[in-house]
Amino acid sequence: MNANLYRKRKFTNQIGLTLSMLAMGLGLFVLLWILFVLFKNGFSALDLNMFTQSTPAPGTEGGGLLNAIVGSLLLVGFTALFSTPIGIFAGVYLAEYGDSSKIAETTRFVTDIMLSAPSIVLGLFVYAIIVAQVGHFSGWAGTVALSLIAVPVVVRTTENMLRLVPGSLREAAFALGAPRWKVATFVTLRAAKSGVVTGLLLALARISGETAPLLFTALNNQFFSADMTAPMANLPVVIFQFAMSPYDNWVRLAWGGALLITLTVLVLNIIARVMFREKVKV
Amino acid sequence: MSQSLAAQADVDPKMLAVVRRQKIQDFFFHKITASFSLLVLIALLGIIASLIFNSWPTFKKFGFEFIWRVEWDIINEEFGAAIAIVGTLTSAAIALIIAVPLSFGIALFLTETCPVWLRRPLGTAVELLAAVPSIIYGMFGLFIFAPLFADYGQPALQSTLGQMPIIGPMFGGAMNGIGMLAAGLILAFMVLPFIAAVMRDVFEIVPPILRESAYGLGCTTWEVVRHVVLPYTQKGVIGGIMLGLGRALGETMAVTFVIGNSNRLAASLFAPGTSIASTLANEFGEAEDFHISTLFALGLLLFVITFIVLAIAKILIIRAEKAKGFKT
Amino acid sequence: MSILEPSNLPNAIEVRGLNFFYGKFQGLKNVNLDIAENKVTAFIGPSGCGKSTLLRTLNRMYSLYPGQRAEGEINLYGQNVLSPKQDLNLLRAQVGMVFQKPTPFPMSIYDNIAFGVRLYENLNRADMDERVEWALSKAAIWTEVKDKLGQSGLSLSGGQQQRLCIARSVAVKPKVILLDEPTSALDPISTAKVEELVHELKTDYTVAIVTHNMQQAARVSDFTAYMYLGELVEFGKTDEIFIKPKKKETEDYITGRFG
Repeated sequence: MNANLYRKRKFTNQIGLTLSMLAMGLGLFVLLWILFVLFKNGFSALDLNMFTQSTPAPGTEGGGLLNAIVGSLLLVGFTALFSTPIGIFAGVYLAEYGDSSKIAETTRFVTDIMLSAPSIVLGLFVYAIIVAQVGHFSGWAGTVALSLIAVPVVVRTTENMLRLVPGSLREAAFALGAPRWKVATFVTLRAAKSGVVTGLLLALARISGETAPLLFTALNNQFFSADMTAPMANLPVVIFQFAMSPYDNWVRLAWGGALLITLTVLVLNIIARVMFREKVKV
Repeated sequence: MSQSLAAQADVDPKMLAVVRRQKIQDFFFHKITASFSLLVLIALLGIIASLIFNSWPTFKKFGFEFIWRVEWDIINEEFGAAIAIVGTLTSAAIALIIAVPLSFGIALFLTETCPVWLRRPLGTAVELLAAVPSIIYGMFGLFIFAPLFADYGQPALQSTLGQMPIIGPMFGGAMNGIGMLAAGLILAFMVLPFIAAVMRDVFEIVPPILRESAYGLGCTTWEVVRHVVLPYTQKGVIGGIMLGLGRALGETMAVTFVIGNSNRLAASLFAPGTSIASTLANEFGEAEDFHISTLFALGLLLFVITFIVLAIAKILIIRAEKAKGFKT
Repeated sequence: MSILEPSNLPNAIEVRGLNFFYGKFQGLKNVNLDIAENKVTAFIGPSGCGKSTLLRTLNRMYSLYPGQRAEGEINLYGQNVLSPKQDLNLLRAQVGMVFQKPTPFPMSIYDNIAFGVRLYENLNRADMDERVEWALSKAAIWTEVKDKLGQSGLSLSGGQQQRLCIARSVAVKPKVILLDEPTSALDPISTAKVEELVHELKTDYTVAIVTHNMQQAARVSDFTAYMYLGELVEFGKTDEIFIKPKKKETEDYITGRFG
């Protein structure tokens, strides 16, 4: 055996492994740094006022994010309401009839494209078909934009989860003489229940932090409003506006909002993860 | 036997009614679920149609020249997409150049060298990083990273790479911490966990037997990854990179905070610039009439660019999965 | 070539000239056989011989999958179930099936049974309770689960789950019950319980069972069909097949010279 060659190979290996460990370290470092910064800057803004008062006027002190929080909750809530049935039904269609249908094949391809389409372009689209037609921004337009992002996620995960259900379970239901729709809903969908819910949670987590599509649809609202037909305040746009401004108070609130969003997204992800693992255990 | 036949006929009428009802139910179930599926299709078609329709005035005025015209004068209504396109491509390129090797390193670590008990928590940490909304990266970039970059990073670069021929000018000029390079770096942070997670998933699919045979020959870990894992997962890795590229191209918030938002082309990476998404985010609010159509034109171009990238990624990934099917 | 055993027993199912195709591959070649009413008929043979394929034609389970098709006749009490006019759900309500792997639905034990019954019958609560108890008793599992009917079917052991699946099939009162290697995933004790069940089921139902375990076939069945490479090699009374088979191939398989 050539000792020289071996030493060189070992050396290369060492370098490679060390570099990879450094890469992991860097990644971890960035994560921790970001979280640390978020907490440090956002925590000071986390007081009762943030949850009880609406956004302050530029240059003033005090105020909170109440209108933005409520607005975001409304937008995300309605989006969940619309995208859940659409996403699940389409996902069921792809899983049940998808092997023999051109529509299904195309839908799958389209879904994947939309999954990664720039969200700002989706916002443009909704602006063109709703805001421009109606003449003003609105919470409903924002909901439609967010749904365009959420639905493909739900469709994809629903289909994948349904396909994971063992074929023998479906056959057992058919073997009793059950009609297709009962097999699909009472048996297959039920068996995939927690996986589908996981997909919903992930979709919600994704849209909670989306800013770009809301810029052209729901826009923002300085005051408290629960009117979905009018511009709707929301955390991401408020953060965008406040962070880029020269007012210290606004920047402080922006950090607070950023912390809120991040916590929400992380919690949703963790819940989804835990749920999914439980499903796999059973 | 005739006795059984009679028994058979007995049950039928009741059951036949149920069967008929079930047929109708199944029919509606099929149609309803199919129409929801069609909705998604229609949405995409609508998006494309709307983009084309609304950007028409711009293309009518400038023709396809619009794509490489270097001009962005709102007041005189002279527009060209080149500045924004260059910004989009440059920032994405910087992001990938940095993120891809790092992602590879992380994926390697997670699948080969990391102690088993640590794999899940670290893997989860990477996935959680990928879930953090991009606006957070933007804020991080503007408030934390930019000042540090201006004080330490940029001077260091300028005094080393900035002194070299050819690439020197790329690191020249004022050092504000923001600009094209900063945007690329923040984008890299954002895209890194995503690509790392995809690569790790793809590495994990390699059959242990394949790895073991390589180790059994006396290969070092590095060699196993380079000569067995990577070639095996090649198409999946490329697909994952393309997906990351797609995200980087379309990203708005992470970039807008730090790119400087200036509609000019500059030689230096330290200079402010803009991307398509940033231009849209910054100008749409106050745009009027014709200006709006140019923004839609930019949007259409961005959609086309990401569509192409994603379509290539899809094809590569499908081919990778088929190859895996044959090999296992 | 098949051999029809002349008998005076009424037949629940008569298979005539059955050919089956997976795409281009022919899985069954010109199968002719009778499944006698209220008797247990076993299909045996080495892996890939077509016994499961044959079983799955009887309730047209293969129709779920494009690319699989059957030609010929399968007469269930005189009605050809291969006819395109045959309603599949109706057929499967009359010809039940239990699978190799226990497949309890993700519902309570009670609902597992009630699900099938509710498809075609409108029973009130009391009648449904009765039917559930009856089915679970028939499957010899009533005493074990009567206090936990509300619990998920998945909480039972493997052997119990399989008996639950048998109860589920029995509950809808089919004419024929098909068993596809029902005990291959079970431990010996559960296997014995299920074999006892099969013996009792035949008083009220016609049973067809696929098994790769020859001793099981010898224990539980009245008639046996030996299959090889898609063809029905020999068919007759179980005693005759096992003690004095008419064909050499059958004898080779039974004495363990191959397979």
